[in-house]
Amino acid sequence: MERKDNQSPRGHIAGILVEFLEVAITSVVFLKGIYSPGAFERRRYMNVVVQRARHPQLRDYIHSAVSGLLPFIEKGLVERVAVIFFNTDNIPVERFMFKLAVNQSFDSKVEESDLEFSLRSFLVKLSVSQPLTKVLPCDCRWEITAYFRSLPQVSNCKDTELWISTDTKQWQQPPLITPIKSMNSEPLGVQLYLEHPSPSEPKS
Amino acid sequence: MSLDSSRSANSGPQNLKRSFNSNSSNDKGNSSNSKKRKSNQKTLGMAWGPNSLSTSRSSFRSSPFSDFGSYMVEKNRKLQNQFDAEASNSSLSDSSTKPIFHGVSIFVDGFTVPSSQELRRYMLNYGGRFENYFSRHRVTHIICSNLPDSKIKNIRSFSGGLPVVKPTWILDSVAAKRLLSWVPYQLDQLASNQPTLSAFFTSKFSPASEGVFTAAICEVKHATEDLCLKDASTDAKFSEEGEPSEWRKKITEEHDELMRGNTDSKVIEEPSSSYSEASQEVKGVERSYLEQDDESKENNGPQYCPEQPSASVSSHCFDNHSIKGLPHSTALGPSKQRHSTLGDPNFVENYFKNSRLHFIGTWRNRYRKRFPSLPNGFKCVNSHLDVSADTQKTAIIHIDMDCFFVSVVIRSHPELHDKPVAVCHSDNPKGTAEISSANYPARDYGIRAGMFVRDAKALCTHLVILSYNFEAYEEVADQFYNILHKHCNRVQAVSCDEAFLDVTDLEGEDPQLLASVIRKEIFEATGCTASAGIAVNMLMARLATRTAKPNGQCYISPERVDEYLDQLPIKALPGIGHVLEEKLKNRNVRTCGQLRMISKDSLQKDFRFKTGEMLWNYCRGVDNRLVGTIQESKSVGAEVNWGVRFRDLQDTQHFLLDLCKEVSLRLQGCGVQGRTFTLKIKKRRKDAGEPAKYMGCGDCENLSHSTTVPLATDDVEVLQRITKQLFGFFHIDVKDIRGVGLQVSRLESVDTSKQVLERNSLKSWLISASARSEEQCDINGIAKDRVGTDTEGRSMGGNSGVLCTDPVGNSVLRTNNTSNGEGCSNQGLSIPLLCDLDMGVVESLPSELLSELNEMYGGKLVDLIAKSKGQGENSTGSLCFHSPELAKVAVEEAERSRNSDPISLSRTAAEMKGKQHILDGLQTVPDSGAGFNSIAISIQGLDNNDLMPSSLSQVDTSVLQQLPEELRADIFESLPEHRRQEISTLGPNRDNLHHPLCINPPESTDSGLTNTLWIGNPPMWVDKFKVSNLLMLRFFADMYYKAKSAENLSSILQCTIAESLHPLDAKCDAWNEAVHSFNELLVEYIKLKIVVDIEEIYVCFRLLRRLSTRSEFFLEVYNLVFPHLQVSVDENYGGNLHIPLNK
Repeated sequence: MERKDNQSPRGHIAGILVEFLEVAITSVVFLKGIYSPGAFERRRYMNVVVQRARHPQLRDYIHSAVSGLLPFIEKGLVERVAVIFFNTDNIPVERFMFKLAVNQSFDSKVEESDLEFSLRSFLVKLSVSQPLTKVLPCDCRWEITAYFRSLPQVSNCKDTELWISTDTKQWQQPPLITPIKSMNSEPLGVQLYLEHPSPSEPKS
Repeated sequence: MSLDSSRSANSGPQNLKRSFNSNSSNDKGNSSNSKKRKSNQKTLGMAWGPNSLSTSRSSFRSSPFSDFGSYMVEKNRKLQNQFDAEASNSSLSDSSTKPIFHGVSIFVDGFTVPSSQELRRYMLNYGGRFENYFSRHRVTHIICSNLPDSKIKNIRSFSGGLPVVKPTWILDSVAAKRLLSWVPYQLDQLASNQPTLSAFFTSKFSPASEGVFTAAICEVKHATEDLCLKDASTDAKFSEEGEPSEWRKKITEEHDELMRGNTDSKVIEEPSSSYSEASQEVKGVERSYLEQDDESKENNGPQYCPEQPSASVSSHCFDNHSIKGLPHSTALGPSKQRHSTLGDPNFVENYFKNSRLHFIGTWRNRYRKRFPSLPNGFKCVNSHLDVSADTQKTAIIHIDMDCFFVSVVIRSHPELHDKPVAVCHSDNPKGTAEISSANYPARDYGIRAGMFVRDAKALCTHLVILSYNFEAYEEVADQFYNILHKHCNRVQAVSCDEAFLDVTDLEGEDPQLLASVIRKEIFEATGCTASAGIAVNMLMARLATRTAKPNGQCYISPERVDEYLDQLPIKALPGIGHVLEEKLKNRNVRTCGQLRMISKDSLQKDFRFKTGEMLWNYCRGVDNRLVGTIQESKSVGAEVNWGVRFRDLQDTQHFLLDLCKEVSLRLQGCGVQGRTFTLKIKKRRKDAGEPAKYMGCGDCENLSHSTTVPLATDDVEVLQRITKQLFGFFHIDVKDIRGVGLQVSRLESVDTSKQVLERNSLKSWLISASARSEEQCDINGIAKDRVGTDTEGRSMGGNSGVLCTDPVGNSVLRTNNTSNGEGCSNQGLSIPLLCDLDMGVVESLPSELLSELNEMYGGKLVDLIAKSKGQGENSTGSLCFHSPELAKVAVEEAERSRNSDPISLSRTAAEMKGKQHILDGLQTVPDSGAGFNSIAISIQGLDNNDLMPSSLSQVDTSVLQQLPEELRADIFESLPEHRRQEISTLGPNRDNLHHPLCINPPESTDSGLTNTLWIGNPPMWVDKFKVSNLLMLRFFADMYYKAKSAENLSSILQCTIAESLHPLDAKCDAWNEAVHSFNELLVEYIKLKIVVDIEEIYVCFRLLRRLSTRSEFFLEVYNLVFPHLQVSVDENYGGNLHIPLNK
């Protein structure tokens, strides 16, 4: 969770964003109650109480997935990061979408405190958005998926290899969107919303 | 602090009792709270307890006897009757005068300080009413300290339009003995939201009473000045000594005394004064008064009322506490009849009164108070380090009274001196009490502490049993320490009868001789004997005392140490208890000689690092501890495991409350606050019968739960709440409880927690700032008081420099600081003189910092700044500064006017100046809640009749444009109707530079051609709607000005929902046109926001949907725009927005 200081503003923002995503995704997973509450411990991040996974594998998955995104976020390639919950048939039941917008042309120094203020509101809102979500069926799976604006060039960087292209099943119909939180604090814009299958979605 | 003591003195004994005797009312409050949850009235959320029951309301409704309407009517009637009955008993006011709160009926919402029960009591006593349930018809004021954001946003539906006031209002009114205006006490959170301007044009204060107030203030000031002088001298004395921690304690103590004395005298001088907190600011106040005209003087009153009830309450308790001394000081013999929690309502108190362990435990506090020279100890340590560096010949005396608890009691019974005597809390025939101390003749019979009396009597039939005499113990302990301190200034108190002396420094005196002199003196003074051990370190001295006892002394020279230790059983070493002894025995180690065979590494491996090292050192007679190092206690607590028997939960709660009080007192006595709370419970084992010891705990399981809170506390109420919660975790039958203990750990000293606050303050860097400010400041002739300075300052022209304070003034700062309750610990850092400050730096500070600084300077700083600025711009020159707060406002104003020159320069007429004063004053409202009250009042101080210009042509449009929307709306509102037309014409001609929507350039640029409605500040649509002939649109445009953050459509809609209680519809010709316009507005808004802020869109449409159930207009709009919304969302997010149905 340490950030390097000698970075370009853009890399700096990406660093903050990645760190935030790690926390937020953990919060989402906690919120959905996939694992027992005992699998998490309370920590303080940006001065709010958040959950942190205790199980090393879970923690590593989230951490490596998100930090693998860092170079792409820095380049502005990542459009959305999704936490997708599937039922046993691999059909998505609920998707938490983080829509990212990093202003690439922004070059001046970032006021970290402003950014933190905005990001904090996500974590606060997230912790109370349980009623917006659906009850998951038992035996569900989940994964982190990132949506890119364009396919990235194959790079030889190690950690980027952790991300593999996916052919996750999609919904047939446009999903229903329930926004949870939006923020736009130059140069960073993040929006979090929920996607549920539309009622007209063919049941399989 | 001055505030609290004088306030409590003002309102008499009833108030003094407040912190101690509130249990009865609290109990009542809790029981009624639990009932309250069932209510189906609007309770606005209660202070405690989960709301789980509210969900079961429907099930109640179906049950046969649950007609809630009639139930609540009946209940409210009963509550009222109860209240009336109590009120008639406890009303303090004589019947001839009207009670203070006549006609006031309060409802307390949520957590307040003081608690709702205390507020209720005030209402009882001063003729007010207290409503347990909110009702728009009966309640006149809502009292609360804090509101959740949701209630703030929707304040009208929450409060029903009633004033929402801070609890301080009640306290101050009681203190003032008249009903103060609630306006200055309005909840800060609301302050920025309310339609303020016009509210303050009506005068609310009668000049007569204000006259009284000013007189009182002057007297307060008189007293405070006295104090300042004393304080200044104290300061001077101690600042020479260096070593902050050393004199800080001292100064705090002395200062406490001063304050106490001072407030007393103050109370005598002017018992009617309510504004005792004014002593904080008195200096500044008084000074500014000198230059004020009478009118403004009259209107300045209420702002000096205390703003920090929480701080005051806690220190209030502390004050009482220190005055009263520790509770055990009045200990008497044991009560004979009431031996358990069952019979004795004051069980806990009595228990600790009669507890020897408690006496020992709390003795240290007493010692510290009695020998405040304790800090000397620290000094000793420092110098001692030097000493021990060059000369190794240290000499330590350990002195210990011989069987202290017995010998003190029998000194008045010479006939008992050689008889076996034991001390015990009771001598009942069953003999199940435990002996706590026995004298040497008794010890010869094998009688030991901890033995049952009956066993002891079996060993020695003629054993005399005596009970404690705590007063005598205290007396003897004091004499003991007086003697020790007389001979040596390095005394480390171990216990009430045991101490270490470091006599290394006393050159030329033989330690052995000294020890015998001391022992002799002790015997002569107290009639009790003491033993002494002399050696090179504390460990050996202590061991020597062991050999010396009874009534002897022993010297172990460095050469004999090895020899002495060789055969010494390990058990004799301090720090080795049963467990460690057992472990060592298993390794065949019984004496120190054997222990020495084991290597240090091996010891550290087996017994952990520290213990191992200690063992290794001790068995070699090495002890590096220094006399005077005081171990801070790690935890503070109280435990009762004797006589604990409960019948029901209520007993338990009562007991817990008492325990909390005790613990709170102990915390305050130690000057610490804790964060972790552990509740320990001894639970009778299932098979255990009644214990052998009478009312003892017997065979018990020990259970405990603990919790940690983020903020350290010593407050009884918080403790009580936590304890209750902890107790709830146990799920235990109260009849099985045999002992309860509450322990507080993670202690933070009250001083350090204050220090943390202080660290954030600016004092430290101010000093460095002052260093480079030399060239900037013109040190002028010092004017003794502000009138002088003022005129001088003015005559200086545009010079930036200025003004130096006189020494008295400077000391005032410190006093202010201290009485603020934050400062004691920091007094050493002297604040740089005003003239040392770099004005350039100070001016560019943010307003919060500035106000903090200003407080430190007692309000002078801002005057200074304002003046230094005011020179250049004549507009501010004519303002008079009513108070520190106002002056702060003035500074900001001055700053502002400097930043935006056109404003101030474009104004010449005197009327305009007045106007601008208000505008600018108002401008500061959002940033400075504190300044708020004073502004309000100062406005009153000005000419009340015609503040508003008769026409907008007199208003400088550039000023208006610079104002935030809310303020502009305020001003518009307070203009007569016919003037409004002119305003709308002001709208369009503004530049786009400031408009808040500019933050999304990517979209707004490409849609720039089509999206025009949302450009501008206020956006174009507002003007367009304003001139529309359709009521609906005009209404909506009005909402724009009403809404708090008007750049968001959602807040405007929110406002619309809150405002439009009447049906909005009125079909007319232009209906379709209006729908179309509104639709256009929404479409453009969607376009604007869809990419960056879908949340906002979401909120807007949920609100629209809600509106659409009320208004056909909105329904039509909603239906029209909804498809468009879904298309946009689909384009950008690949889905449909899900707008749930809401009622």
